[in-house]
Amino acid sequence: MWKILRDLLRYNWEFTTGVVLLGIVAVIALLSFVSPYPPLDVYVVAPDMPPSMEHWLGTTSRGQDVFWQLSAAIRNTLAFGIVVAVLSRVIALTVGLFAGYAGGPVDRLLMSVNDTFIVVPIFPILVLFYFVMRDQMSWALLALVAACLGWAYDARLIRSVALSLKTREFTAQSAFCGMGAREIVTREHMPYVMPVVFTTTMNNMNWSIGLEVTLSVLGFTDVNTPTIGGMIYWANQHAALVSGIWWWIAAPVALVVIVFIALFLLAVSMNEYIDPRSRLARMGGG
Amino acid sequence: MGPVLSVDGLKAYYQTRFFGTLREVRAVDDITLEVRRDEIYGLAGESSSGKSTLIKTIARAIRPPLNVVAGSVRFDFGGQGAHDIYALPAAELAATRWRHLSYIMQGSMNVLNPVRRIRHSFVDFAYRHMALPMPAFLRRVEEHLAHLSLQPAVLDSYPHELSGGMRQRVTIALATVCRPEFIIADEPTTALDVVVQKGVLGMIRRLQREMGSSVLFVTHDMAVHANLTDRLGIMYAGRLVEEAPTRDLFRRPLHPYTAHLIRSLPRIGDDAPRHGLEGKPPSLAAPPPGCRFHPRCPLAMEVCRREVPAMRELAPGHRVACHAAEQGMLP
Repeated sequence: MWKILRDLLRYNWEFTTGVVLLGIVAVIALLSFVSPYPPLDVYVVAPDMPPSMEHWLGTTSRGQDVFWQLSAAIRNTLAFGIVVAVLSRVIALTVGLFAGYAGGPVDRLLMSVNDTFIVVPIFPILVLFYFVMRDQMSWALLALVAACLGWAYDARLIRSVALSLKTREFTAQSAFCGMGAREIVTREHMPYVMPVVFTTTMNNMNWSIGLEVTLSVLGFTDVNTPTIGGMIYWANQHAALVSGIWWWIAAPVALVVIVFIALFLLAVSMNEYIDPRSRLARMGGG
Repeated sequence: MGPVLSVDGLKAYYQTRFFGTLREVRAVDDITLEVRRDEIYGLAGESSSGKSTLIKTIARAIRPPLNVVAGSVRFDFGGQGAHDIYALPAAELAATRWRHLSYIMQGSMNVLNPVRRIRHSFVDFAYRHMALPMPAFLRRVEEHLAHLSLQPAVLDSYPHELSGGMRQRVTIALATVCRPEFIIADEPTTALDVVVQKGVLGMIRRLQREMGSSVLFVTHDMAVHANLTDRLGIMYAGRLVEEAPTRDLFRRPLHPYTAHLIRSLPRIGDDAPRHGLEGKPPSLAAPPPGCRFHPRCPLAMEVCRREVPAMRELAPGHRVACHAAEQGMLP
């Protein structure tokens, strides 16, 4: 594991860049724990100050320091992406592995549910959820709903691998040795699909962060939790671009773009982990 | 004590139903045989003669569309009385397998999960069947591996890090670590070159002698049978056509098909051309009436086209299903 990481860092510039960028973002997010200002307090500093030594990224029209605001926002946004990715991975793995292994009516039932989730339009449903839930629409509930909507593609992908694994000798052997379906799926098949799951995790985080930003910018989320989308929402509310407070919008946009690029590069470089042959080719070994 | 395994009138068909029409492929048709304690019973026959289907049926490792239509498969481990494997409740079946009845599967090079270390395969497959705490279990596994001249280090390898022969030995170690009374081996040496094959066969022989178990050994390779098995059954188109002690069968085959199989083997110093048998094995979905071998048989008579020959013991321990052999004609 560590050797693979070391090789990836040394020979794969995508991976290295992704790790470095994500590391910077993570440090910014972690700094929020030592923030001098509570993230929801307003008028704690002089408003509308351009970037300076005192306020690195300037201040907002609401009297908040952009840097410390950004730090709290990216923490929540990253956490949102991770929670959605983990929850939806759990659903996708369960559905995909069991549908593939069980086959027959179980497979057909699970896949018809799965295909329903693939075709339903996600964005209008989330907006609808916001209008129904209104004040109860918290950050956690949104994560849960997004996870429930974001697993279907990957469940199909995992199922297709499980279908192939089911016909391999080692599956027959496991069944013959008395392992139950649950054991075969978790102990024998899951390690096999994990690399695929790693890659889709990055994509899923990108997707869910994008979704969160979109909804927040439009004000369809709990705007009192500082997030990247929420920051842009408040900047728009105060007509930041019109009044020339560009740093209020530029900072969150730039940071979230860095997150996207970092996750994308990591997802791409995961290919090298899945396929050792291309890793060797890159190292000049074949 | 009676035989470990007695198969009686076993019929297993692949049954599919399309628009209400039942189609049957009679892959195992009316087979009766016994495997005694402490012997290696060989099963030979060309591809698609139903060898693999038969042993899958014996191990109850079948799933639809393959169904048992008639007959019974009875195991008697340790002489405590015979049990029909198809009448065993699921829990008892699970406890029997691997502990008493183990199976070296076809393509056994691939029975090891490519993404799990060998150690995990041993734990996954064998640990549950041995009433041993984990450290004692792993010690036992290491001893067993050493016995098969494998380093304990293979436990920490992935299957792709081992050579074909080592992987095969690991697979056999996996199937024998619980010291089962009965081992089914489905072409375990087919993918190996002859040198490795010799080593693996010797190992199977040695393990069988030490543990006093019975082995049902399936391969189409007659040379392997000649070297390894005690008794040999010949299958053709889903039926057992001849069964005898291996030595007798090679010296004096009674069934024309067996005779052709043996004559096709090369011998050192004999440079007469080998003749292939005309025709090809019949379709098991629509087998010919009477003896299934008659369209290719040089001795075929009128009765062969009409009547299915029954298995008859024509010499001590030598059973054959052939009308011509019954009349004393030798192939």
